[in-house]
Amino acid sequence: MAEEVILKVEKLNKAFGGLKATNNVSYQMRTGELSAIIGPNGAGKSTFFNLLTGYHFPDSGNIFFKGVNITYWPPHKITRLGIARAFQVSNLYPRLTTYENVRQAILSQQKKTLNLFTPAHRLAKKETQELLEITGLSHQTNMTAGNLPQGDKKRLELAIALGNKPDLVFLDEPTAGMSGEETHETMELVKRLNEEIGLTILFTEHDMSVVFGYARRLTVLHQGTVIAEGTPEEVRANEDAQRVYLGEEA
Amino acid sequence: MDITLLMSQCMSGLSQGMMLFLIASGLSLIFGVMNILNFAHASLWLVGAYFCHSIWFRMQDYGFALWLSIPLAGLVLAGIGWLIEVILIRRVYKRELPEQLLLTYAMVLIIGDVIKISWGVEDRIIVRPPEVSGPVFFFGIPIDSYFIFVILVGVAVAIGLWLFLQKTKYGHIVRAAVFSREMVSALGIPIPRIYTGVFVLGIFIAGTAGAVQAPVGSITLGMDMAVIIQAFCVVVIGGFGSLLGTLVGSIIVGEIYAFSILFWPQGALALIFIVTAIILVVRPWGLFGTPMRV
Amino acid sequence: MKKYLFLGLIYALALVLPLFIGEFWIHVAVEILILGLFAVSFNMIFGYMGQLSFGHAAYYGVGAYVTGMLMVKASVPLAICLPLSMIGAGICALIIGYFCVRLTGIYFAILTMAFGQLIYYIIFKWYSFTRGDDGLQGIIAPPLLFTVNAYYYFTLFIATAALIVMWYISESPFGYTMRAIRDNADRTRFIGINVRKYMLINFVIAGMFAGLAGALWGPFNRSIAPDLTNWHHSGTPVFMTVIGGPFGFFGPMIGSVIYTFLMAFVTGFTEYWPLTIGLVIIFVVLFVPGGVLGFYESKIKGFRSKVPKSEETIP
Repeated sequence: MAEEVILKVEKLNKAFGGLKATNNVSYQMRTGELSAIIGPNGAGKSTFFNLLTGYHFPDSGNIFFKGVNITYWPPHKITRLGIARAFQVSNLYPRLTTYENVRQAILSQQKKTLNLFTPAHRLAKKETQELLEITGLSHQTNMTAGNLPQGDKKRLELAIALGNKPDLVFLDEPTAGMSGEETHETMELVKRLNEEIGLTILFTEHDMSVVFGYARRLTVLHQGTVIAEGTPEEVRANEDAQRVYLGEEA
Repeated sequence: MDITLLMSQCMSGLSQGMMLFLIASGLSLIFGVMNILNFAHASLWLVGAYFCHSIWFRMQDYGFALWLSIPLAGLVLAGIGWLIEVILIRRVYKRELPEQLLLTYAMVLIIGDVIKISWGVEDRIIVRPPEVSGPVFFFGIPIDSYFIFVILVGVAVAIGLWLFLQKTKYGHIVRAAVFSREMVSALGIPIPRIYTGVFVLGIFIAGTAGAVQAPVGSITLGMDMAVIIQAFCVVVIGGFGSLLGTLVGSIIVGEIYAFSILFWPQGALALIFIVTAIILVVRPWGLFGTPMRV
Repeated sequence: MKKYLFLGLIYALALVLPLFIGEFWIHVAVEILILGLFAVSFNMIFGYMGQLSFGHAAYYGVGAYVTGMLMVKASVPLAICLPLSMIGAGICALIIGYFCVRLTGIYFAILTMAFGQLIYYIIFKWYSFTRGDDGLQGIIAPPLLFTVNAYYYFTLFIATAALIVMWYISESPFGYTMRAIRDNADRTRFIGINVRKYMLINFVIAGMFAGLAGALWGPFNRSIAPDLTNWHHSGTPVFMTVIGGPFGFFGPMIGSVIYTFLMAFVTGFTEYWPLTIGLVIIFVVLFVPGGVLGFYESKIKGFRSKVPKSEETIP
């Protein structure tokens, strides 16, 4: 597996009204990385993801994915190129079942969504069931997504993101609302996906044990600016990072 | 094209615009505060015209007949508006858009037939009192004096609303509610009462507008249909919830109407629709509305 | 299985209907079918895609006028007119939809209504081409379909075929993508779907079937008028869908049965049909928000599974 740069962000800036949410941020990821972005609330993590996935357009700066300049691309085009995203606040199809939720992502990835005449329930059965199993959701197959417990909702988020067969996944607080055991299961899955398939993963978390337990590289964001970067140990020793997190350390 | 024609068309357009403003202001206010698009707004406007005629008819021997009928009609409509809000509108605040639209649309149908039942199918005419019957001369150009009256009423309502929204405590609350219902509610101010008040105010203005319109031409069944569409266009062009926007939008539509009579008489409404469609595509929140993700 | 048996029964009943009821009610039946088709096409945008189009009658009217004018002015056989009407309505929907799908919610509703009125206005004013307010008279069905019964079977056949096609579309990946767009358009973008493009495709398909319904109307009614395209007529499929329930595929058709029956009945002894239907709609909106189908689902079958919002939709 080549260790090439899969994601390159150059001097990204984004302001909302008077508030600078992203301040001259430059960032890079290599294929196969499992990295995390951390920072106190309001640091700009979600905005960063929003910019990278086409939800907002930056005021200035560039984003390159697999060498392609995707800075001003709309979300669906970016997803087609290979970036997927699991949202912080569950962004599911509440009235469809778990199965249908996952299937929708898979059908999209398989480019079958313009199919007007084949009954959908006959398609993508194997792939959907597989994905449900991998993410531990088989027992919820027919449950309406809106009624899932919080932990399962987050897992469904992950499953939908994976359904797109992405090369790069952004996970926004993947273990929020999960019990200790669920957290462990989910993060082990994330780790497996990274090691076995070579999926490049960037996640944010508030749970520091998760961050330090799984991320191989850390970036600390504060008020839209990158203030520290490196391996977990390096960041831990970094004074700026400590200052920002004084009182926030789990 | 001589100046006389231009001026008189301009005044006609202004008068038409003011008439639209009177209707659209209530519509815009109700939508801005309560997020309800009142399809029946023009229907209630028409009821105002009919009530005005009925009241005027009984007093027509007196010189002040019209001047009394207009505010009385407005008050009657305010009462009707209150009833409608209490019985119907408040049940759909928490519902989705389609259900709200359907409710007010159903009201259009019901009110239409109620008018038929109450006032029959014949046109009604109000004879204007002498003060506003003849033309007024403006730099030698004759202008229908009633137009002046309509314009004055429009300006009065505009100023009145502006003062209300900017200078009174209640008005501040209403403006805040346009911005954020939750905040106002969190401050302990009863949202339901505000909604009722705003709705009644909107209908009061509509009813008064209908009464003011009554002496212009005749009162006919079905007038509300043409008007409601134009009122929608006004509110879209100007921006929902914005008083200034509604005023500007009304004048624009009124003038388009007046001037298109000169070079494309068939196309007045089409032109208005085209402008509306352009605004909706390019700037959906209107000229003066608050931008939002659509 | 039970569902298909039930449908089969209804269809068998429909096939033998002319044996049991008089010509007047067969007339009503044809109207039910045509307007029901119109309403089902509307529901592709409303129930499945989650947007309220208040200008759907425009495509119905365009379909009616394409067929009407071709038959009256050029004596084109009906069989050719029908697909041409669909294409004509589809082109209209393509142009109008291109702009409308940029918006959602109330703005979408108003823009569709504005365009609908524009079409009405064009047909109304373009006297030389469409005979404007006078309408188009003398649209005569081909001799084979001249009797009411014959036209009934013809309409039944066409409507059934159209419904089957729309059913397949609604159950296809495309149909599910529509539900996805309805439930969470943002999410759908993030799984790689160009939401605008898909909305436009759906809009055009819905418009085409509305055009088909309109095309069937002309020879049935023997004449057509611009009124077919105005916003009042756009309200008809909305009412039908709400009465029957936007829930299931057949909701609008059920609504058409109830609405058309009611209208035929009420207009028999009073002119105040708008008052009647207005009251019915208010009643349904306030007390039976899911329509007939919704009522059936919740009271008789028991809750399938609780849904987060107060409104149920097509599962």
